[in-house]
Amino acid sequence: MQFEAISIEGLSHRFLSRTRPPTTALTDVTCRFPAGKVTSIVGPSGCGKSTLLLIMRGLVKASQGDVKFLYGNGAGALTPGDAPRMATVWQSFNLLPWRTVVDNVAFGMELQGVSKAERREKAMDAIKSVELSGFENHYPGQLSGGMKQRVGLARGMVMSPDILFLDEPFGALDAQTRLYLQEQLSSLVEKSAKTVILITHSIEEAIFLGDHVVVMTARPGKIAASLDVDLPRPRGIDVQNDKRFGELFSEIYGLLRDEVRKSMMN
Amino acid sequence: MTDVNRSIAFQAEKPASPPQADERLRDDTWWYGPVAMACFLVFWEVSVMFGSIPELFLPRPSVVVVTLYDLFATKGLVYDLGLTLYRIFGGFFLAAFVGIGLGLLMGMSKRIYAIADIFVAALYPVPKIALVPLLVIWLGTGNSFQIALSALGCIFPILVNTIIGVRQCDEGLILAARDLGANTVQIQRKVVLPAAIPAIFGGLRLALGISIILVVAAEMQTARYGLGAKLQAAGQVLETGQVFAILLLLAVLGILLTKGQDRLGGLVNRWRAN
Repeated sequence: MQFEAISIEGLSHRFLSRTRPPTTALTDVTCRFPAGKVTSIVGPSGCGKSTLLLIMRGLVKASQGDVKFLYGNGAGALTPGDAPRMATVWQSFNLLPWRTVVDNVAFGMELQGVSKAERREKAMDAIKSVELSGFENHYPGQLSGGMKQRVGLARGMVMSPDILFLDEPFGALDAQTRLYLQEQLSSLVEKSAKTVILITHSIEEAIFLGDHVVVMTARPGKIAASLDVDLPRPRGIDVQNDKRFGELFSEIYGLLRDEVRKSMMN
Repeated sequence: MTDVNRSIAFQAEKPASPPQADERLRDDTWWYGPVAMACFLVFWEVSVMFGSIPELFLPRPSVVVVTLYDLFATKGLVYDLGLTLYRIFGGFFLAAFVGIGLGLLMGMSKRIYAIADIFVAALYPVPKIALVPLLVIWLGTGNSFQIALSALGCIFPILVNTIIGVRQCDEGLILAARDLGANTVQIQRKVVLPAAIPAIFGGLRLALGISIILVVAAEMQTARYGLGAKLQAAGQVLETGQVFAILLLLAVLGILLTKGQDRLGGLVNRWRAN
């Protein structure tokens, strides 16, 4: 049985509040995210794209509809099955501030009861792969934003997830750090051939990293369009000079423009 | 000309002063407090000596120190000190145990919070010294009364701070832990509790001060032994030197306990230091 896709049908979500009427974050979202590909989700702020990620990851229960993980039997038929292994990288890093880098990276394995020696060894490898060797015993408060996010990436990757969720992973970083990490992530993703769901508000980032780009509407969010990014891989940062990149950018911005305006009106 | 060139070349070869491993930022204000205190004591000593103030009102610091030594040497003050410390810490640790435990439960469970909150709200604002008559009826005037009074005073700052600490835990940290596969117990043990530690320590610090205040005050009213009792007795016979000596002892005790607690807090929160 091969994991083939995440499938969402007729998914809606409302937030209840004590003081205000409920907010509809997502309405009737239907979408399919193929395995082994990078799908970028862009949308105006507040459109519910992070909520969609939390629902897919199983951390929030949707008010209506659900998420299925489809497995193929090799003959073309798809059947829903158990959730594969998943890990998330967060915009605000969410590292435990009282744990050192190595203890943060090893946290997931510690929760699973992996032995101390084994989790330390794996964590050290992961730290090396994000070029943070020498910082194992630093606390998150002693690291820059870009370094923190590399710890976040190592913490997720060390769990060897089938699906990697990236919730605006570079949103809190400065422009140069962001460019550098985008390049690193791009090569990492190309090598590992993992299923990646990337939430972002940057159109460039969505195209540069994505095989597909899903565009969402303003709140209540739904899928406005889904585009294929037909740019060759491996991609360097100079793919942004490609004529096709510019066309995709204009097309996505054209779709987003009115939605952004709507999101500012309400 | 060549000399100048050579000296420049020489300087370039020499590595710019290598960073030293033991180079640290130092706190160079640590002695300000002790020196200010010393100046104050000298001023006090000198002005009493030359201002002809009767010792009944204001004894010199040197006399106070001698009196304190005398109390320890001949009047068995060490027994009173031990008894007072026992009452202070007895109440403090009892309150810490109950307060942190109940605080964690109230912070983590909405139901327990809903039940316990009204009791906390009712008891919190009652001046604890107003409970003395009732506690004496129930427990007499012995150690159990002193410890109960101290515990009642200590428990609320600890409880309230623990609840706040638990509730302030960053939602993102809990999400990240759940993402990595943590169950409810693991989240509470490995995320919520450590996140609440600084707030809990704040509560403990307030509570220890309250414990000292309550125990000494209660001893002055009801006890025969203990620093508060000795203070009251000395005051009644106008032994101003002894009054000052015991006050000095209480002040030193306060400094030692507070600094000790700061040390402990610094160890627990060492991840905050850069």
